[in-house]
Amino acid sequence: MKTSLPPTRSNSAAPAAPSRKNAMTEEQTPAPAVVAGTAPARLDVSHLAKSYGTGDKAKTIIEDLTFTVAVGEVVCIVGPSGVGKTTLLKCLAGLHPATSGRASIDGRVINGPPPEMALVFQDYNRSLMPWLTVRKNLVLPLRHLHLSAQELKERCDSALAAVGLEHAESQYPWQLSGGMQQRVAIARALAYRPEILIMDEPFASVDAQTRFDLEDLCLKIRRDFNMTILVVTHDIDEAVYLADRVVVLGSKPARVLRIVDIELPTVRDQISTRALPEFARQRTEVLSLIKRPA
Amino acid sequence: MKFRPKPLITSVAGILAAIVLWQLIAVGPAADSPLPPASAVAESLGTVLGTSLFWSDLAATVGIALLGLGTAALAGVVLGILVGSFEPFRYATLAVLEFLKPIPPIVILPLIVLVLGPTGQMSWVLVFFGCVLPIIMQTVDGVHDTDPVARDTARSYGLKEPEILARVVLPSAMPFIGTAMRVAAPAALVITVVAGLLGGGPGLGRSIYQAQAAGDYPTLYALVAVLGVLGLLFQGATRLVEGKLLHWHESFREAAHA
Repeated sequence: MKTSLPPTRSNSAAPAAPSRKNAMTEEQTPAPAVVAGTAPARLDVSHLAKSYGTGDKAKTIIEDLTFTVAVGEVVCIVGPSGVGKTTLLKCLAGLHPATSGRASIDGRVINGPPPEMALVFQDYNRSLMPWLTVRKNLVLPLRHLHLSAQELKERCDSALAAVGLEHAESQYPWQLSGGMQQRVAIARALAYRPEILIMDEPFASVDAQTRFDLEDLCLKIRRDFNMTILVVTHDIDEAVYLADRVVVLGSKPARVLRIVDIELPTVRDQISTRALPEFARQRTEVLSLIKRPA
Repeated sequence: MKFRPKPLITSVAGILAAIVLWQLIAVGPAADSPLPPASAVAESLGTVLGTSLFWSDLAATVGIALLGLGTAALAGVVLGILVGSFEPFRYATLAVLEFLKPIPPIVILPLIVLVLGPTGQMSWVLVFFGCVLPIIMQTVDGVHDTDPVARDTARSYGLKEPEILARVVLPSAMPFIGTAMRVAAPAALVITVVAGLLGGGPGLGRSIYQAQAAGDYPTLYALVAVLGVLGLLFQGATRLVEGKLLHWHESFREAAHA
């Protein structure tokens, strides 16, 4: 049995030792509305906790999460598998209510699916509708926006072009490869024109080459649309490659171990960026946080 | 779909062999029984097909079966989605539905005849009753089979519940509904005939009863043969419609997109 809130937050305050000089620890800052050196927070997660069940049977998945994502920033959340990353995203997407604490967008507390947010699921083959063609899958979330036919077409065309799938619009998702299906799911999110894009292990079930392509696609989206992007991943290399900041979660229940600023050039390249000594150093930094027994 | 001549030849040969066997039995060992030989049935089939009564009977049977099936499908799918989606609705209705499910339509036939008389309406109610329950049950199963990720996707994009039901849950349940319809379509035909045979409703069933009462066995079996062909057509039509509507589903992909 776990008490969800120990009297002292010793477990989150404890990790202090390795390479603190380049890391920004935030676990004790109560409510960081503004992160030093970045734009104001777009997405603000403050002491978010989530548990299932009540009383003695209550199972705490997320204990106390606090972090922010600024406008146009890419933030990756990494943590051991089963740490509750998907639960966190569901809370952020307004699909599950938080047990305590809050997540807010521009100060508005999220208590239902926020209209300015789109979510890309890990299971692309379950989140795309098999009875709809690629284009109709893109149209599905747009119907209730009552756009003009011309804007609808324009949004779908540009989203498909952004992921390089113009030629596949009349095919069905299951006729496409895994990587192409995930690009359809991303295109669907793009056509929705979200300001905040949340992705749950988006590239976990595609092959390595496709994965690199999709990572670069993600960075291109950020550049082209100035989108705020939050990616959950278990792949540390991917997190370091994609992110401006990496939120390292510890288990169990989930809590923020540390928030690592990634000091890599903004324009990144799969070959040269990954060869930088700084890349290796930050990768090691994140990995050692995760590997260390909690 | 690919055309394969060999299976076609084999199945035609099978049908011919069955007819020959029937003829031999009816002429040989069963010559004294009321079973008419195939040749006699074919002859009276020719006569029957020439009467206008037959064609109005056929129209009535097909019409009642389709009307009953159609209304049962509409009501069954709507109710199934409601029962499957809303917990209070489910708990309120499930016991009643489970209670009604094993009751064969023929059991309530006397009651319905008593209320509605030997009319087309009576037959229609009977068909509706016989088809609607399995369609409800299958739709409920189909609703529960909806992928939670697909639902969450729709919700995260701000779709409201009625739109999710219509555009995500209903298509997800379609394979289950298709299976129910494939079973219900021949059943609708059978129940229409039974309603005519035992309840005096209009259509081929009533004519079969009259032929039987008159001891006109060749006509009786000619009508039965027509029913057999009609059953095949119903089955084929449902398969065709199912294949069209569910071309995206795993079990139809290869045939539809090869």
